[in-house]
Formats: sequence, structure tokens, C-alpha cells
Amino acid sequence: MTELAELISDRHILVCVGPGGVGKTTTAAALALRAADEGRRTIVCTIDPARRLAQSLGIDALDNSPKRLEARGAKPRAGKGELWGMMLDMKTTFDEMILDMTSRDRAERIFSNPFYQHISSTLSGTQEYMAMEKLWELHEEGRWELIVLDTPPTRSALDFLDAPKKVTDFLEGRFLRMLLWPYLMAGKTYLKAVNFGAKTFLKVATRITGSELLADVANFFLAFEGMYDEFKERSKRVHDLLAARRTGFVVVSSPQEASLREARYFVQRLDSEKMPLGGVVLNRTHAVPTVTGLEDPRALAARARSAGDGEILGPALELYASWREISLREDDAVKAALGDMKQVPVWRVPDLADEVHDVASLRRVAEELLGALPSRAGVARPVPAEPKESEN
Amino acid sequence: MMIDLMSGSLVTSRLAIVSGKGGVGKTTVAAALALAAAGDGKRVLLVEVEQREGLAPLFGKPHLGYEEKPLAPNITGLSVVPDEALVEYLYLFYGIRYVGRVLKGSKAVEFATNIAPGLRDILLIGKLKEAERRRVQGRYAFDLIVLDAPPTGRLPRFLEAPRSVVELVHSGPIRQQAQGVLDMVFDPKRCQTILVTLPEDMPVRETAEAVETLGKMGVAVGPIVVNSVYPDLFPAPALKTFAKDPQALLAADAARAGVQLESPALSELSRIVGAHARRTLNQHRSMRELEHDTGLATLTLPFLFAPRAPKALVGLLAQALKDQGAVG
Repeated sequence: MTELAELISDRHILVCVGPGGVGKTTTAAALALRAADEGRRTIVCTIDPARRLAQSLGIDALDNSPKRLEARGAKPRAGKGELWGMMLDMKTTFDEMILDMTSRDRAERIFSNPFYQHISSTLSGTQEYMAMEKLWELHEEGRWELIVLDTPPTRSALDFLDAPKKVTDFLEGRFLRMLLWPYLMAGKTYLKAVNFGAKTFLKVATRITGSELLADVANFFLAFEGMYDEFKERSKRVHDLLAARRTGFVVVSSPQEASLREARYFVQRLDSEKMPLGGVVLNRTHAVPTVTGLEDPRALAARARSAGDGEILGPALELYASWREISLREDDAVKAALGDMKQVPVWRVPDLADEVHDVASLRRVAEELLGALPSRAGVARPVPAEPKESEN
Repeated sequence: MMIDLMSGSLVTSRLAIVSGKGGVGKTTVAAALALAAAGDGKRVLLVEVEQREGLAPLFGKPHLGYEEKPLAPNITGLSVVPDEALVEYLYLFYGIRYVGRVLKGSKAVEFATNIAPGLRDILLIGKLKEAERRRVQGRYAFDLIVLDAPPTGRLPRFLEAPRSVVELVHSGPIRQQAQGVLDMVFDPKRCQTILVTLPEDMPVRETAEAVETLGKMGVAVGPIVVNSVYPDLFPAPALKTFAKDPQALLAADAARAGVQLESPALSELSRIVGAHARRTLNQHRSMRELEHDTGLATLTLPFLFAPRAPKALVGLLAQALKDQGAVG
């Protein structure tokens, strides 16, 4: 069973995946910070961090290139560790990729196509694809011991891994090219040879959109002519990198059923793709242990209240009872979603009711994670005291 | 003539676009809002996009399709799917029936909606506009249309989609259609966004930013729904002490009430009470910030400690919305 500590200290790439709203970015940042604290040269590539977290890390002004994070307290504890950050800019990454693939002239031609401008920021899957492209680039730079990649919130777990294929298939546009053939053959009377479906499509499309857009689209695909093989090549090498032994996927989830269901799909998918699963991080869990003297908190609460006092104790005991029930339900949900899977480590971050928006609280999350035992133990750890910041 | 059936309520437009950051309970709130209005005798259309398949289960029904189906008394459910919307569009506006069928069978629509970015969204919103304008026997078919919309991050693009079509396409009927949709989206009497958030720092900030963005765009923003609000369990003056260390106060209270608690029990209680106190304080601050930053009315929905069956949950939240005058 993998230990999270091992992921942090030995892997080269950690990819945080999961549905939206479960604390993916926070987890990615906390893991990166810990790795840097342990002395590794680390970069965290985030997608869309909450502004305050970004500010506190000093990455709010970040663009598409790595920047060293030296905000308050972000300086790693261990001397040689470094923490760098960057924020993925989908369009810039797309532009850079095209520049890398083709001549300046042709790239400019693509950039100036109005259709490209729309595609590069709206085509579904582009963000995921660009995140992977960026990952490859960072890997190629050769200067990072650890790259932690945050990923866009995918509606479905499958979206992330399928994105490159989806986008490249689109760019290859076999079907579209067939449909747009007459436009590609500009001015010639090839319509006769075009099959019925395509003719119909063209007629309708022209009628709906007017002919300019179609011309833009046709030119777009013309400009991409011959680049498909390279697209495929690139997807393949990223795929190989993701499947490499020194990569680890960290599936982030909340302990709620819907989110766990996504986590389960993801774990299964990684397995069938032979991608290396690191483990599952459960954020904001309510792990509450059974404590001697609190076996029947509600009865105790009733007693406290009937005594006429217990204004604080009564609600406190009822609150404990509720948390305990939530805790049990969460355990059941985790067991139902992941219980039948072998070798899936689960790490929990208890709900500290603190807002994680500064370096100190990120460190606290890392402490919870790396101290916590794999799921079954289910032992709640006490809330650690406010860590003292050693001012730089 | 436009009859304002929603007067006196916080939701004032016929179309209510319910959005919010991922994970805040958008879908449940959309369902609750629909149920609250339906309970008031209004005819409600509850719509989802992107085949999320989240609404029907909340009413104990199988998945929704493109055909409008009853979900509950006075509530009709609809899942808008782009290719179905395109086929319907072609039929309605061009009388093209056969082409629609050919298109549907092929992958053409998928590609068409991809090549004209925004076409997909415009088809979705276009369908909403059709429902919003639909009349039956001289009056509007629906008193309220609730959309379980894409998350806040994608909302501006979703709402602006028709604009990009207007820019991209210089002629043709789709331009007119796009303009018609824009007219609806930017008319506060016809369309309002209802943002759902949590009483926490980051969601509140993002909501305030979304309100600003939507405001700049010219889209009306209705009341904000704050979901999962924890109850105030402890007296306000004690909260700050509790947030730090409630153990001494708990011990004293236990002694007064004559309840014996060993120290492991006391420290576990302290941990939980402390967390709750911190959360309560955060909540208070977030609510203040939300009201200050947006100046909008808020509707609050309780955090529920005990699980509820989906239908019961939606019923409970609908009642809470009604009690606060969301609809009426």
C-alpha cells in the first residue's frame, strides 16, 4: 500500500483529479508545499485557484510561466527545497503548442483565424488537454523534482483522460473535412460528388450560419493540414508520461456519496488504463471516534438540559451525536464506494472548520494528510495548534 | 399583456437561472425553488442542460428526456439536449423535418455545435426562450421557468453565447434568433440569475465576483441562496472563547448540570464545539461580507445533520424558501 509520504518524496509527477468543489486545488497546493518543505524543487500548476489562496501564495499575478513563491511563509522549511507555482492559461498554452509545431507564418495564419480564437478557449476538453501539454513541457524542462498538477473540475472522471483524444480527433476533423470539402476545394463544382448527408449538412449549415463562418472553419482546417500526426504523437507521449512509474494520481473527493461515486469511477478508469493510482484524498471528513463516557450522547444531553443548566453542554453533546452519525455515514459511503477495491489507500483531512487560504493552513492540511493513517484506522487526530510561523 | 404573477416575491422574472460554484447544491436548490412555486399553484418548468441527470431523481423519477414530462404536481421537467434542440429549431423555423432526421442520426450536430462555439449554448438558451414565450390559450404556458444552469465559472460564457454568434455570424436567421435570446437574457423583467453559495469565505468571494461580472454584463441578479447554513447552537458572546478553547466552559457547565465527563470525552467535545464555533464565526463574517459586497437579499437554507430522502429534502428546502418569500 502506497504511503502518501512516499508519493511526496519519490514521485516525479502528482496529478490531482476529481470533481469540482472538493478541494483539489487546496490539496495540490498542500502536497506541493509539503514536498518543498521536505527539500524538493517543486512546482504546482494550478488551473483556477480561489483568489485568496492564490494571493496568499503570491500566485495571483501568475501567468503561464513558473514563478517562485516567496510569499509570507511560503518559503520551504528545508534549505534546498523550492516552491514554484504557475497558473495555466489555456489559450497561451495552445498558442505556444502550435508555435512549437509549425512555422511562424502558419502559426500566425492559425492565430488570426476567428474560428481558432473561439476554439482555443471554448472547445470542451481543451483545458484538460492543455493541462497535460503543460505537464509535458514542465517535465521536459528537467529542472523539477516534483510537478504537482491540479486539473480542471471534470464533470465526469472520464473527461480528463479522454480530453486529448477528443480534441485531436476534432482537430483532425475527418468528418468535418468531408463535410466541408466543397469549401476546401474553393470555387469548384464538386458538390455533385459529395454525398447526400454532407450536401444536406452544408445546405443547412450555410443557411443557419451564413457562409463566412464556414469559410473560416474550412481555412482553419486547411491550416492544420499535416499537423495531425504530430498532435497524435504528442498525446501519446503525454499518455506515456502519465502512465510512468514515477507518476501518481491523487483522486480528490469529499466524503459524500456523489463525489465518492466519481472517485470510484476514476480509480477504476486509472486501473484499466494502467495508470498509477497514488491514492484517494478525502477532504473535510467528520471522523469522530467513540469515546468512553459519550456512548449515548443524546441521553446525556437530555439529562444536562433537564438539570436546568447545561446550556452549553446540552447543545455540545447533541452536536457530538450529530457528528458521530455523520462520521458513521461517511464511513459507510467510503466503504460502499471503495471498499471492494484492493490496494486503494484513503487519506482523510478532517473538517477543521477553518478556511484554507494561507500558507499556515495549507501546512496544517499537509500535516493532517501525512500524519493520517490509511482509511481503516479511522482515528481522528486532534486539531493541531496554530503552527508558529518562522518569519523569513 | 405581461401579467406579473410573481409580484411580491423575491424571484421576479419568469426565467430564473440557478447557478453557483460546483458543489454548493445548485441542483437541489433549483428543484426546491420549483417546488416552492408549484406549491403556490404556479405552473413551473424545471430545466436541466448538459444531460446532468440530477433533477429527476430528486423527485423520485427516472431520467428526464427532451420531451417535457411531469415531475410533480404543477412541475414539468425537461432536459435540453443540443441535437434535439437543433432538430426542433430547424423544424420550427424552417419547416425542415427530413433534414433534421438526417442530422440527428449523423454526428453532424456534435460537429456543428463544436465548429460554431456557442451554437450549443444558443440552442439551449433558445429552447428556454421558446418556453418563456410559449402561450397556451392566451396566457403564458409557464409562470416560472427554473434552469439548473452550468456552474458560475461558465455562466457568463453560457449567457453571452448568443452574443458571440451575433459577432461571428453576420447574416441569416440564426443571427436573429441569437438577438432574440439576448433580448430575453438582458431583460431583468424576463430573466434573473439566482446564485447559490455556501456561507464560507471562498464561495462568498466567488459569488460576489460573479455578481459583479453579471452586473457588468447587464444580467439581473436576484436573491442569493446561501445553502448549508449551520445552526447557531451557542450564545453569541461565548463564540470567540469557544473558537479557541471551549474545554473550561464545558467542564464548568458539566459540573453545574451534574454530568460526569472524563477528560478524553471533554477534549473530544471541545474539539467538535471548537470547530463549530469557528464555523459559526466564519459564517457570520461571510454572511456580512456577502450582504455588504453584493447588496442583495439572501435566502438561507439550513445544513441538515440527518440525511433525508431526496423528495423529503427538496420539500423541506422548498418550504424554507417559501417561508422567506422567495416565491409567493
